[in-house]
Order: sequence, then C-alpha cells, then structure tokens
Amino acid sequence: MNREHVALLRKLLLSSNKKSRLGAALLALCIGTTLLLLSVMIWWNFNELLHGKSDTDSLGSTFLTISKRVTDDNMGKPGATIFTPQEIEDITKAPQVQDAGMLISNHFPVYASLNDKLGFATEMFLEAVPDRFIDKKPDGWNWQPGNTQVPVILSSEFLNLYNYGFALSRGLPQLSQSTVKTISLDLKISYGNTAQHYAAHVTGFSDRISSVLVPESFITYGNKVYGDNAPSTPSRLILKVQDASSKQFTDYLAQHDYVTNNEQLRWSKVRAIVAVVSAATGVLAILLMGIGALVFILFIELTISKAQQSLTLLLQLGVSPRYLSRFMLRRFLPMVLTMVGLSMCIAIATQAGASYWAQGQNLQLTLLPGWPVWAAMGVSVLFLVGLVRRSVVGAIER
Amino acid sequence: MQLSLQQVMPIPLRDKLTQRPSGIWKQDLVLQPQEYVFIQAPSGTGKTTLVHILYNLREDYEGMVKWGADDIKKVSKEKLSSLRTNNISIIFQDMRLFPELTAWENLEIKRALTNTVTPQTVEDWLDRLGIKDKKNSLAHTLSYGEQQRVSIIRALLQPFSWLLMDEPFSHLDKANTQKACTLIKEVVTANNAGLLLADLDEPHDFPYTKTILL
Repeated sequence: MNREHVALLRKLLLSSNKKSRLGAALLALCIGTTLLLLSVMIWWNFNELLHGKSDTDSLGSTFLTISKRVTDDNMGKPGATIFTPQEIEDITKAPQVQDAGMLISNHFPVYASLNDKLGFATEMFLEAVPDRFIDKKPDGWNWQPGNTQVPVILSSEFLNLYNYGFALSRGLPQLSQSTVKTISLDLKISYGNTAQHYAAHVTGFSDRISSVLVPESFITYGNKVYGDNAPSTPSRLILKVQDASSKQFTDYLAQHDYVTNNEQLRWSKVRAIVAVVSAATGVLAILLMGIGALVFILFIELTISKAQQSLTLLLQLGVSPRYLSRFMLRRFLPMVLTMVGLSMCIAIATQAGASYWAQGQNLQLTLLPGWPVWAAMGVSVLFLVGLVRRSVVGAIER
Repeated sequence: MQLSLQQVMPIPLRDKLTQRPSGIWKQDLVLQPQEYVFIQAPSGTGKTTLVHILYNLREDYEGMVKWGADDIKKVSKEKLSSLRTNNISIIFQDMRLFPELTAWENLEIKRALTNTVTPQTVEDWLDRLGIKDKKNSLAHTLSYGEQQRVSIIRALLQPFSWLLMDEPFSHLDKANTQKACTLIKEVVTANNAGLLLADLDEPHDFPYTKTILL
C-alpha cells in the first residue's frame, strides 16, 4: 500500500478522533504507568535498604548492642554478664536477628596519654567489632602486627560528653571532629617489665557503637601477645536486626533479661509503618494503571466504533481485516510504547534524584532503577500491547 | 471460477418466496465462467438479497453457495477479502461510496489494493462516463447518477472473474447507461470474466448467455 492509501485510511478511520480526548486518555495511561513504576521503585529501594549488604548504615536493619542486665544478684560475680558460646549461638537464631557479632575488649592494660606537655593521661579500654558492623568505616581501617599506628573509631557520644559536659565545666576548649582527628594519642601497653608504645589516631566517629574501637586484628594480637591469651569472652554483642520493633524479638530480649537501647526500637516502629504505606501505594498504583489502561482501551474502541461504517465498507470492498488491524495497531501501539517510555524516563530521573538525596543521608541507592522496575516496565508493555491488540483485533476481525 | 447455488432460500423471505415459482430459490444452479447472466427480478422477489448472498454479505439463508470449490460460509475472513479483491467484484444498488472522500479518493482506495489499473486509465474512464469534472467533489455532494457512475468505475478497478451488478443503471439515462454498458463489456472481456446483472425487467445491452426469472 502506498502512502496515499494510508492517508485515505487515516481520513476514513481516524478523523473522528478528538485530540483533547486522545490527550486525556494518554495522560491517564502515563500517570497510571508512572505510578506503578514508582511504587515498584519505592518498594525495591526500601527493600534494598532493608537488606542491603553495604557498609554504610541501612535504614531497614537496626543495629543494637545488647548486654546482660547488671542486677543486685549478679554484681560482683565475675563472668556473670559474659555471653557464653551457646547463648551467642542461640541469639543468632533469635527472631528478626540477621547477624550477631561480639564486642571484644582488651585483656591487657592500656595507658593513653595525649601529650606530655598537656599532661592528659588516662587508663582506658579498647574494644573491637567485626568490620561489617561498623557504620562508617574510615579509610585505612586496618592494622597488622608491626604497625605502630593504630586507627581508632570513637563514639560520637563520647565527644559530645566531652564538649558539652567536661570541657564546659572545666573551662577547656571544645573540640570539633576534624580537630580530634589531627590529635595523636600515645598508647602505652605494659607487659612484664617492658612497655610497647603505639600512636593512636582517631580516624572516625560512630553513632552506632558506644565504645573506643580499634581494628579487630589489634585486639586479637594484643590479647595474645600482651594479655592472658584467654578466649574472647564478650559481655556485649552487636546485633543486626531486621525489625527491632517485632514483638517476638522484644519478647526474646525480655525473656533472657538482655538490655538494649530502647530509642532504636522506637525508630524501628516508624520503619514498619513506612513498609505498610509503601505496600498500600503499590496496590493503589495497580488500580490507577488499570484505570489508565481502561480509559485508553475505551478510547480505541470508541474510535473503532465511530469508524464502523467505513470499516464495514472497506471490508466489503476487499481490504484485508488483518491489514486494517495492523493499520490501527500502527497508530495506537507507538502511543502506548511512548507513554511507557516516558514513564520509565520519569522513573529513571526519580531514581537518580533519590540516589543523590540518599547519599546526603548516608544511605546507598543505585543510580539506575533496580531490576524489578525494568521487569515492571516489561510486564506493563506486554500487558498494554496485549490489551490494545486484543481490543483492535477483536473489533475488526471478529 | 464457477458460481453455484444449491437449494438456496433466504430465511427471512422463505414464506413469501415459496409461494411463487423461481429459477433460483430452492433450485440447483451452476453459473459457468464467462457466462453473461441476466436475473429478471420483479420487485420484492429478493433481487438484492440474491446479490448479497452471492457476494457473501449475508448468511441468513438455507442451502449452499459455492465460489469454485469453496462453500462461502466456510471461507476465512482473510480468504474472503482476497477473493473480493481478485476474483469477484460488485456494483451495489445503493452505491456505497465513502461520503467524506472525493470521487477520486473513492476510486483510489479500491485501485491501490491491486494496482492493476493505472491512474491514467481511471481518468479516461471518468471522462468516458462524463464525470471527469467531478473527480475532486466529495461523494456526498454528487447526484445519484454521478455516484452510480463512480460506483461502476470502482467495481472495474480490480481483476475479477465475476462481476455482480444490482440495478447498476437505475439512476442513469439511456445515453449514460449505454456508455457504462460499453465500458463494462470492455473490462469484463479484458478480464475474461462473467457477469451477473439483476434488474427489474430491463436487460440492457449485454450478450446474455442465460436469463433466469427470480
């Protein structure tokens, strides 16, 4: 068929189309598809944050440090607040617990002095956790035997206590995080008659763990060489928990008389609400997409119905029904594909924006939408193409 | 291609048609290729019904109609469109033009299906039937006589082995009918085809091989 013939068919079959009506139908389709893709995107991003394996903090999983409650009964009993290997094993299998790690402390004396001239010196403790539990792992976070430099992660709370408590009351200068990072502490480890000196640098701050952390390798080495070489006996555990607000989990803690930070449990409840809202949005989006598709299909059927007289005569004159179907599909399918494409572009742009925003919040999101969004786009295309095809072929070739 | 009718009777007209003798209804009839058949049909005897049944526009009849070996009730839609494009053509009594297209566009939409007649030939035929000056007029602005002539030319713009005509000259005067008959005869001969004309009682100027009373 030549171009003139196609132009004649267009005049016969599509001239009754009102542009505003077509625009409204396409808009409905585009909004429906966009909402569907966005809700899949929100759901997936949320899922990624929930189960993300990244080093940075993830919104969905909550990190808790737990310890045994110190009571009047067990105080003074050495080892009463120590977790046994069986208890640790049991905790890893507890409801909602995704991971558990021990906070190992030093079994050797550590004496820290800031600078002889300042005259600041204190005995102190060090702890270590497996690296996967550190929220913001700083550069150079490692230590090997022979290294005289030891990186340290300090709890942000400790610096706050110093700045707003100790420094103010004693008239000492307040210190910013960057200033603290420039200070070198001398760690003196005494064993027998000799002492070993290490230069400790604060390389980062943790909001998650209230402790003075050094690399695990340093504690292990120190305990072995300078300490009693006794097996690690943790009195605190750090847990990665999917939903800390879960009743089974809080019941488990209460049952075993373990204590933790309640503030974190409250945050987890907010997260549970967000999960429900995200699921509800998904359902709404499917409904809207259905309505959008329905409006578009009705528009196609209205177009065909208005052109019914011409269609009937064309068929009587010998024009093939398949040819007429193809003519109609060539008109409507590119519109559907363009709308889905447009929705996908919006989803890609939104994801890029969300990824940029998340970086500022110390969360990690991919720059491009995850595979479920692409899959949802594929399913939408198949669904809409199938629906349009069925509607056109059904009306013309029936 | 042979056209055959076996015991055909339109269901809505059954009561009325069984009361009078007919050479077609409830008869077995074979129309051989290249025959010129005149169906003489007084008013109300089912003339248009017969042409529509033969062209497979309606299926509300008893019996069987065959195009060649095919029972036309069982022919697929695609095959039907192919047969209508290449084997069997029709001039409708009610013209059936697209009112929103011009005379030329009405012809072009049919011509382009097979492209067996050149646009120049179409121009010549319009000229011969005296409607060349109307080629760019919208169909709904044409008189019945002009519409009928466009409809006649349209039926000739495809290859065919049978041309079915239902009162094709009802709106034409003698002179224009003569011109149209001449053109039709030429094209039917060129196609080596047969024709079937159903009319009240006017046989027009065709060398019929068969005349049947409906």
